[in-house]
Amino acid sequence: MASAGSVAELASQLYDACAEHPDSDRAWYQGALLDLNIIPKGPNEIELLLQCTQSLVDQKLFRLLETQNKRLAWRIVSREDAEKLSNLNPDESLVFSVIHSSARVGIWTRNIQTRTGLHKTIMDRCIKSLESKNYIKAVQNVKFPSRKMYMLAGLAPSEDVTGGAWFTDGALDSTFISSVADYLEYTISDKSWYKVPEHGRNKRVKTASGKADVKLESGEPSYLPHPPNYPDYPTVQELTNIVNSSGLTPVQLSEDKVLQLLNLLVFDHKITAMPDGNSYKALKNPQMVKQKKQGEPDLPHKPVKSLGENGMTEGPCGRCPSFRLCSPGAAISPETCEYFDPWMQNVLGF
Amino acid sequence: MPHVIRDKQKIGKKEVAVGGLVCTNSFELYSLYAFVAVFLDSPLRHAVELCTLLIEDHFGELFARIFSTLQRYERLSLPRLKFYSHLSDRQLQNGLTAMIQHHLVFHFTSLDDGFTYYEANPHAAYYLVRSGKILHLVADRLGDYAAQIMETVMYLGHASVAHLETMPELQAQIPSHTNGLSHEDENPVSQTEDDGQFAHTNGNHAPALRAPIFSTLKKLASHGYLMRVREAHFQSPSDNYLEAHRIMTSRADIKNMKGKKYIEAVQDGVKNLIEERTGADLSESLQVNGLPRGVKRKRQGAVTTNGINGNYVEGDREKKHDDWSDDENELDETPMDSDLVVTVNYDKLDVALRNAKLVQFAAESNAPTATTEVFKCLLRRIEYATPRCREFREIPAEGEENDHFSVPIELQDLVDLIDPDLDLSSTFAPTNPPTSQPNSLGKRPLANGVNGDHYEDSTDASNSVSRAFEVNQHLNLLSEPPYNFTSSFSQAVIKWRVEFRGLARKLRHLELERMIETRYGDVALRVIRVLHTKGKLDEKRLLEISMLPFKELRQTLASMQSGGFVDLQEVPKDSQRQPSKTIFLWYYDPDRVCSNLLEDTYKAMSRTLQRIRFERDRLKDFLDKTERSDVKGHEEEYLTEEELEILQQWRDKEALLLAEVSRLDEMVAVFRDY
Repeated sequence: MASAGSVAELASQLYDACAEHPDSDRAWYQGALLDLNIIPKGPNEIELLLQCTQSLVDQKLFRLLETQNKRLAWRIVSREDAEKLSNLNPDESLVFSVIHSSARVGIWTRNIQTRTGLHKTIMDRCIKSLESKNYIKAVQNVKFPSRKMYMLAGLAPSEDVTGGAWFTDGALDSTFISSVADYLEYTISDKSWYKVPEHGRNKRVKTASGKADVKLESGEPSYLPHPPNYPDYPTVQELTNIVNSSGLTPVQLSEDKVLQLLNLLVFDHKITAMPDGNSYKALKNPQMVKQKKQGEPDLPHKPVKSLGENGMTEGPCGRCPSFRLCSPGAAISPETCEYFDPWMQNVLGF
Repeated sequence: MPHVIRDKQKIGKKEVAVGGLVCTNSFELYSLYAFVAVFLDSPLRHAVELCTLLIEDHFGELFARIFSTLQRYERLSLPRLKFYSHLSDRQLQNGLTAMIQHHLVFHFTSLDDGFTYYEANPHAAYYLVRSGKILHLVADRLGDYAAQIMETVMYLGHASVAHLETMPELQAQIPSHTNGLSHEDENPVSQTEDDGQFAHTNGNHAPALRAPIFSTLKKLASHGYLMRVREAHFQSPSDNYLEAHRIMTSRADIKNMKGKKYIEAVQDGVKNLIEERTGADLSESLQVNGLPRGVKRKRQGAVTTNGINGNYVEGDREKKHDDWSDDENELDETPMDSDLVVTVNYDKLDVALRNAKLVQFAAESNAPTATTEVFKCLLRRIEYATPRCREFREIPAEGEENDHFSVPIELQDLVDLIDPDLDLSSTFAPTNPPTSQPNSLGKRPLANGVNGDHYEDSTDASNSVSRAFEVNQHLNLLSEPPYNFTSSFSQAVIKWRVEFRGLARKLRHLELERMIETRYGDVALRVIRVLHTKGKLDEKRLLEISMLPFKELRQTLASMQSGGFVDLQEVPKDSQRQPSKTIFLWYYDPDRVCSNLLEDTYKAMSRTLQRIRFERDRLKDFLDKTERSDVKGHEEEYLTEEELEILQQWRDKEALLLAEVSRLDEMVAVFRDY
């Protein structure tokens, strides 16, 4: 039987061999470890191996696994992690290993509790100490915003957790979405309208500031629709490439994500899907798209109505908050209505 | 208007002698009520209120009293009517005859008890509000003289040709109409949307000449705007139905049938009989090749004979004069059957108004002007063959409505109709733009068609071919999503048609979305569209598709729910119906929202009309003064400057409020009539 010293030496050799192996991250079975030719061959090689692995497991350098078919296996742990683990008390290491097992998805505190079987106060203490040691971090899951979830500090949360490109810190990033959507709309618009070449219309002269506006308008480019069956309306693939190369997005957007955004634009009646199902056409020409964007900040209190007005939206009745209560002779009646006069004054200008 | 009443008494008596209906059993009675309910559209109080208000405004209190009594109690015999309305016999008799003349009241004499029953006709009452719009349309298309005739017919309810012929105001031209200049000031709209007929009535007629009453009447009739009055028109549709049903079921050959066959035979028979009795179309006999006479555009000249879209070449006075005489020959002044009694065909006019609305819709959806013009021509051509907006009484529920295509129109017919001077080519991008890669299909047969200057250097034949091609291109553009204004239908030749039901649906949605946008903002608009496309959705899925922050979505949905635009469907997972074990699905039901909004629109119209009355009462003394016979027409002489200003303000106010009513009527048309 080998002495304790030789076991420790063998164990460290075994660990190094495993770590140097190109496929070091796999689960190591008994046979694979023996094949490394560290453990001297002999009748008691199994026993020796067991002693080595046990000592490694004690040093937290190996983790014991039980695979599906009930066979024992080990997985190596990096020395830094092992050092971290060795500083932990047993409860903490239990919690740590559970969180570790959840990888990039993260794990809910209640699940940690059921998996470890620890009492809530103990678990809370463990989590607190692990967090203070910067071993784990709290993450926000977009699907369950109210759940407290943890994962290892060094890991980046997966897309399921963050919600993908449209989310920042677990919340929907509306400004990002609208900026990409606006960019897409303009790009599609640019590609689905024909710009009349500007010959004979560069009459724009430098004028006095008073007339600048008028001159500018006459000098603006004019657009014509493409004839029917125009084959070059932009497709999803093209648009994905354009968005990704535009530098607008910190991450690469997949075609799915762009499609999601395009569908949104279709719902907003800004673009329309062509019958082939893959390409899109803008309903407004680039100039109108630009004007709309410029118009918005100027009139913050009066939203731009893209659809126009009708009788109900113009008149006082359609906007009246007490419309349902209104009837002749009642407290609210056409005679006592206080909306008609301001409305008439506003429209007629007296 | 004593002559009106006298006329009516004659007709009324005739009617009384002819009519007859028996409600034999309770089932028929029940179906009668159902029918009446359908006919009233929605016998809810706002519609009733509005109709009464309109009648009061147009005809005074007596009519309004009779009408509201009839609406409240539905169907009454004269003694009952007298009892409920507290009116004297004389008042009632005069009122009822005049109201029958105006088609505001149906009457029906039962063979069972010999009583004559009276019933309100809210449909006719409602159309009072649309009269201005209709006259404008007629003036636009057929000239002011036609509008004048139309106005007279409207004013009389219905009129015989003999009567119209002798009316002094239709005999000579009204001075302002013979004078082109003053007219320009009055009606700038019809000046821009000019047409040939208008020019004729304008310049080429000395006041001494006889007004072209017969040709204009024929023109109105051939467009379908006027129709013959039939005796069945004085009975409510339900009476007509029941009577036809009674006749059919008592016919010997039908009595012998059984089962399904019997039901079908009765149904068909009733339909045909009603058609036969109420059919009043005058246009068919007056149309040539599906076009009203005088509409066909002359091929050789660039002159319009009639106002299809009417941008005739400036300074073509000489030619137009020739054209006028052509027109004269075409539309003969031979007198019409003087016994013919005509009335306004509102169904047909709705078709024309719907077309105008669709053209406006196309223009708002950024279609180029030339394309809109082509669309206008197509719709005009279809209009001649479309007697009414839809063949069924009520608008079917969303999703249960099949495509109903209009009659297909041959491309060549359309090309002939379109103004040859309309520039069709320069509204498209060239197929081979120099800047883009040469991957276009080169479908254009004429290379020089791109520049639009090929009229000079190409022969006539190729000209018409390329013209047809261009028109086709424009129609193709219209057929593109999302609006799909047109759809092609190709057999041997290319034909184009319009799917009116789908477009009517889109118009309805547009009105709804306008209201939603104003009330709840564009976020709500997106949510509504998602819900409308996807059906019922739970919050999470909705969140995913609409890409809105959770909080904003919830707020929008909640406020829309309280406004009645969206609703929540609960799907409990177990029998306990606990909220925690229930799925909540949001949905949007445009049909329900539409019908609610229609009621609201009626109400808004009533309120606006009531406000006009209130405003008038405010200024009552002053307005009485301005309407004094010595002041009226000489306002500048008798009124002080201050008073003139007040008068002007009042007129502006009244015009604004009436315009608002008319805008609301446009919505009613979209929700109810199109």
